[in-house]
Amino acid sequence: MAESKYVKSKIFFEEEFEEKLAEVPTDPKGPWPANDNLKIIGKPVSRIDGYDKVSGTAVYTFDINLPRMAQARILRSAVPHAKIKKIDTGKAESLPGVLGILSSNNAQEIKWFNTSSLFDTHLRYQGDEIACVVAESEAIALKALKLIKIEFDELPFTVDAKEAMGEKAPKIYDEGNIQGGKPFEYARGDVDKAFQEADAIVEDTFDTQVAIHNPTEVHCSVVNWDGDDLTVWDSTQAIYGVRDTVADALKMPASKVRIIKKYMGGGFGSKLECGKYTVMAALLARKIGRPVRIVVDRKEMNLAVGNRPNSVQKLKLAASKDGTLTAISHYSYGAIGGYEGGAGCSWPARQMYKCDNVKVEEYSVFTNTGPTRPFRAPGYPQGIFALDSAIDMLAEKIRMNPLEFRMKNNAEKHPMWNAPFTSKLLKEAYEQGAKAIGWDKRNNQPGADKGPVKKGMGMASQIWWGGGGPPSHAVLKLNRDGSARVIAGTQDLGTGTYTFMAQIVHEVLDIPMDKIEVILGDTAVGPYCPSSGGSTTAPSVSPAVRDAAENMKIKLLEAAAAQLESEKKNLVYVNGLISDTSNPEKKIDIPGLMGKMGEQTITTTGSREANPEGYITQTFGAQFAKVEVDTLTGKIKVNKIVAAHDIGRVLNRKTLDNQFHGGIMQGLSYALMEEQIVDINTGKVVNTNLHDYKIPIIADIPEIEVIIVSEADPMNSNTGVKGCGEPAIIPTAAAIANAVYNAIGVRIKSLPMTPDKVLMALNQA
Amino acid sequence: MSPKDISRRKFIKNLGGGVVGAGVAIQTLSAKTRKESKPPSKSDSAVALTFTVNKKPITLLVEPESTLADVLRNDLKLTGTKVVCNHGECGACTVLLDGRAVYSCHMLALDAQGKSVTTIEGLMDGEKLHPVQEAFVEHDGLQCGFCTPGQVMAAEAILIKNPKPGKEEIIEGMSGNLCRCAAYPNILKSAVAAAEKLNKS
Amino acid sequence: MQFSYIQPTSIEEVFKLGSAAPLYAGGTDLIGLMKDDIIKTDKVINIKKLKGLDKIEDKGNKGIEIGPLVKIADLIENETIQEKCPLLVQTAKEIASPQLRNMGTVGGNICQRPRCWYYRGDFDCIRKGGDTCYAVGGENKYHCIIGGGPCFIVHPSDLAVALLALDAKIEITSENGQKTVPVNDFFILPEDDETKENILEPGEIVTKIILPEQAKGFKTTYIKFKERSSWDFAVVSVAAVLKTDGNMIKNGKLAFGGVAPHPWMEAEINQKLTGLNTDEASVDAFTSSLFHNAEPMEKNEYKVILARNLVKRIIDNLA
Ligand SMILES: Cc1cc2nc3c(=O)[nH]c(=O)nc-3n(C[C@H](O)[C@H](O)[C@H](O)COP(=O)(O)OP(=O)(O)OC[C@H]3O[C@@H](n4cnc5c(N)ncnc54)[C@H](O)[C@@H]3O)c2cc1C
Ligand code: SF4
Ligand code: FES
Ligand code: FES
Repeated sequence: MAESKYVKSKIFFEEEFEEKLAEVPTDPKGPWPANDNLKIIGKPVSRIDGYDKVSGTAVYTFDINLPRMAQARILRSAVPHAKIKKIDTGKAESLPGVLGILSSNNAQEIKWFNTSSLFDTHLRYQGDEIACVVAESEAIALKALKLIKIEFDELPFTVDAKEAMGEKAPKIYDEGNIQGGKPFEYARGDVDKAFQEADAIVEDTFDTQVAIHNPTEVHCSVVNWDGDDLTVWDSTQAIYGVRDTVADALKMPASKVRIIKKYMGGGFGSKLECGKYTVMAALLARKIGRPVRIVVDRKEMNLAVGNRPNSVQKLKLAASKDGTLTAISHYSYGAIGGYEGGAGCSWPARQMYKCDNVKVEEYSVFTNTGPTRPFRAPGYPQGIFALDSAIDMLAEKIRMNPLEFRMKNNAEKHPMWNAPFTSKLLKEAYEQGAKAIGWDKRNNQPGADKGPVKKGMGMASQIWWGGGGPPSHAVLKLNRDGSARVIAGTQDLGTGTYTFMAQIVHEVLDIPMDKIEVILGDTAVGPYCPSSGGSTTAPSVSPAVRDAAENMKIKLLEAAAAQLESEKKNLVYVNGLISDTSNPEKKIDIPGLMGKMGEQTITTTGSREANPEGYITQTFGAQFAKVEVDTLTGKIKVNKIVAAHDIGRVLNRKTLDNQFHGGIMQGLSYALMEEQIVDINTGKVVNTNLHDYKIPIIADIPEIEVIIVSEADPMNSNTGVKGCGEPAIIPTAAAIANAVYNAIGVRIKSLPMTPDKVLMALNQA
Repeated sequence: MSPKDISRRKFIKNLGGGVVGAGVAIQTLSAKTRKESKPPSKSDSAVALTFTVNKKPITLLVEPESTLADVLRNDLKLTGTKVVCNHGECGACTVLLDGRAVYSCHMLALDAQGKSVTTIEGLMDGEKLHPVQEAFVEHDGLQCGFCTPGQVMAAEAILIKNPKPGKEEIIEGMSGNLCRCAAYPNILKSAVAAAEKLNKS
Repeated sequence: MQFSYIQPTSIEEVFKLGSAAPLYAGGTDLIGLMKDDIIKTDKVINIKKLKGLDKIEDKGNKGIEIGPLVKIADLIENETIQEKCPLLVQTAKEIASPQLRNMGTVGGNICQRPRCWYYRGDFDCIRKGGDTCYAVGGENKYHCIIGGGPCFIVHPSDLAVALLALDAKIEITSENGQKTVPVNDFFILPEDDETKENILEPGEIVTKIILPEQAKGFKTTYIKFKERSSWDFAVVSVAAVLKTDGNMIKNGKLAFGGVAPHPWMEAEINQKLTGLNTDEASVDAFTSSLFHNAEPMEKNEYKVILARNLVKRIIDNLA
């Protein structure tokens, strides 16, 4: 096996480029052929973890029960802004069954965020942590929380970004409420000139709501000390990130902290960071010398573990008569809560379309509301909603079909850096999607349908990063009986990582699927892989697994050459059988070969190769929506979504379709239903449960057709996977909004498009 | 890092670096630091509950305020039943009570007195999956799987009531179960396939 | 929550237990209230075992008697109700989710507490004995458009709306005996008492819901507008009982949910129905007169339009 080498590799994760020094293979394996010529890659394969999940035997962090385990819960601020004067835990401590309480009274100073600490006495939002109680049972812990007396001074608060930006607003930080003191700005070309010369201009304001991830499994950890070794079971998307945060917070070597996550009940981005609760549990566990389980409940989920921030976006677009998009100006602001975060949503404006003149100004504003966290394609569903609504308005103004308009302004090279793409099949996505939805039957005249229920059709474009990159590694162990175990330090959120890893090993080595075991989510055994966000898991991990499997094949051929006394060049590996083409008598299968060897196991490692220099890898797509709007009630019903995307290679058609369904349904929910509502008078959230925070149910599903226009992106990696988790959700809301306009002739510029808004808009029109 | 160059991305990337502890000494635990209160015991108010769980008769003492889900998960260690909202608003805790689907998080355990409860674990025949469970694997009616036990039980309840349900009936019967991963199209497919499968056999 | 649990088998036993403890029927509302600390109690009385309260009896021309402990799912399955009162079946099917219908009872449904998110959240509002109604100038999208003040809830029960349109009566039993009141008199407005939604006093139990024999020739329907396709409280709902003759409505009744602190029926509206022509112009004139006296809040003006439009849809569908 070849030696490794190190490169500086650029990878885009969630919102920014980062450059990392990474170990990459020196002998990159060539690209795979098309899926038609592969055995199991791209086929609809049932998940290998399906049995555990349907039988109820899958043990999630939430379910872990260690002997002598105690239970911890957190006391949180009930008000949006306050300074604690005194915390009296006396009564709570004397409650039978209470084992320990941690608060600013007794906890050591541990810095958290850049501006705060584990237990800060300055409470910046409803839900900010005040104290943590550990007790014999959760019920006792909860009772104890109620017995803690807090004396505090309530401070004036601001929960609205616009208000918070103003001079008169209460300051959450001395430097002011605009994060960084100024907006993020970007410009290319000459926007002012382009507007002067334009044939058509549209200008409007769009707003989007705060959305909460609300994965079904609440955030939770179980911690256990064994001497000075700490094991943490955590429901996380980033085992290595949690390890580093915990180790730093507790000032201990990372090697002494082990993070385990086997099964997790969803994340969607909210579990990309280590939570304070994990560190609190570790401190309490050490204090009482027992394992501790800490959970947050659904209400806390809706207050304190992140959100997709709101946005107010002022867009101005210009075009010439021939349909050239000549200028985009994007001004936006959004509330990021009491701690650093980001409310940017201008990436689509900067890079979705070819446009020579672009100007962006965006503000992330501190408010006394819950924190932001990356949520499935941060910034993009909101950015595309505004941009692609405005694009439709502009196309209408110059009397051009919006599909044609988008085709015409397709960027052949990346519009910001003028760099080529490793692959881009957006035009194919437009064409195939339009055909599948029957775009030519779209209303020419918006709102033309007779009767109270009106139908319409709309579309929107998608752009996102993808492609992943190094460092990302896998270890493959082959056992005496020919069974294999593949290990990677990544995690499966329900996205199908377990299954595609086994598929890859099967594809390369022909080991039966049921003899392949996949181990994920354990920092003690898994080689490093990036956290599971940004649709980077499959494109980063799959090439490493393939590399490990191909390396195993090389090793096996060498071993077989020695065993069969054949020349290596004459040996072929077919269906798990190695045979000598020069002598048909000479052949050996894997268990046979392994049996001859002294070693009980053979191990190989594999790594993700570097991304190609000078190229940009991105995912693209278009979604088309058919809706009907009941003009008597204002209710929007989505009848069909066609999703046509360029996401590189499909690894597993079954789990891929499912990912798309999920993303589209979350997009539909974002478009029509879900919204965190903050009472402006008290600064408190009114809908912290799953009935008032509305998400769709099974009866809300439209027909969904998923078309993948890409075969693979061979320039990007040896598997050519680009990633699909985020692309699925990005254009859905915008496509629905454009379809609604096409149905009723009235544009809804505010998400979610709830019946009350639609009804009022119709009655004011 | 000054607040100026904070971006959310950096924040994630630096979660390690951004957190600076101030002098936390790691001590090896001595027996003395171990805190132990009396072993958890049932209070005086505990009441005997006798019922059947997955065909096995069971009697145990429960606190009156315990929900059925509490008892299943904490006392009987049947953690296949999940709790997601603890408020009767999501369906993850769905079990069968005398053959009908109920939310175990939203009823008192004592209300199951004398009744028969079936949980996801009770659908199995030894190691073998129930046909509804098989259908969920085959048609990928799940992603993270956390809502799945509840979905499977809801589907089973429909089939107990009517072995030949139409698609509309299935949609109605499954509409008390949320899936945040929104694997709904495949959940529906799985439930429809389960019905077809049961009718064939 | 922490309490002792009592499960009496006769109603007399309940009375002996005193009056302060809340009754647990299906528990689906009560448990939520206790978990959220809205009801604090040291005792819960499970009334499930009370004899004879879980039956549906057809009393011929005396109507149908529904026991309060009848599960909502059983109401839907009941053949007598299906045959004689399809409106109730249609309404019951719209309630909550299959699981909640298997758990919740008819009595519990009409006695359930409001869903105002301030009431259910940690806001010490008027209905909880505080002195502020947070819905005023707050998030009042789902609140009432008529009959409100000082509290502006809407009544959450679907069944109550249909029962009102059906002229049902409610039998109440207490230590002191029995009384029967029309649904209309059972529910009260906040101006009468802002801390409760009906006339029940502590120690009183709903023991029967009596449906009078339904006159022949009426068409009935229940339209419930919800934001998601199922499992949602009514934004606005309408129960209609109408007799038509060609393109004229001979007479009928409309009851509304989601508009007021109690299920809402107006004699004036029902009078206007008599003799209403079902051509578009007449129907439009009729519907646009509805709720002319409504006083919508900042965020719920749409409910007025919605209520009118739903009535229009009902007339278009039934007539
Ligand atoms: C998530 C969710 C969604 C829902 N959606 C809807 C909906 O769409 N439409 C709808 O109509 N309802 C809905 N409900 C309400 C549900 O239908 C009620 O909770 C249920 O019907 C109450 O019945 P229960 O037997 O469980 O009541 P319980 O919780 O047992 O009792 C409710 C209240 O009534 C009192 N009570 C019960 N029986 C009597 C009696 N015989 N005499 C006097 N007082 C009595 C109790 O003391 C208690 O205060 C929903 C509930 C939930 C949790
Ligand atoms: S409407 Fe009634 S229940 Fe709601 S906040 Fe106002 S007083 Fe309270
Ligand atoms: S956990 Fe019981 S319904 Fe959500
Ligand atoms: S599979 Fe994740 S919530 Fe349903």
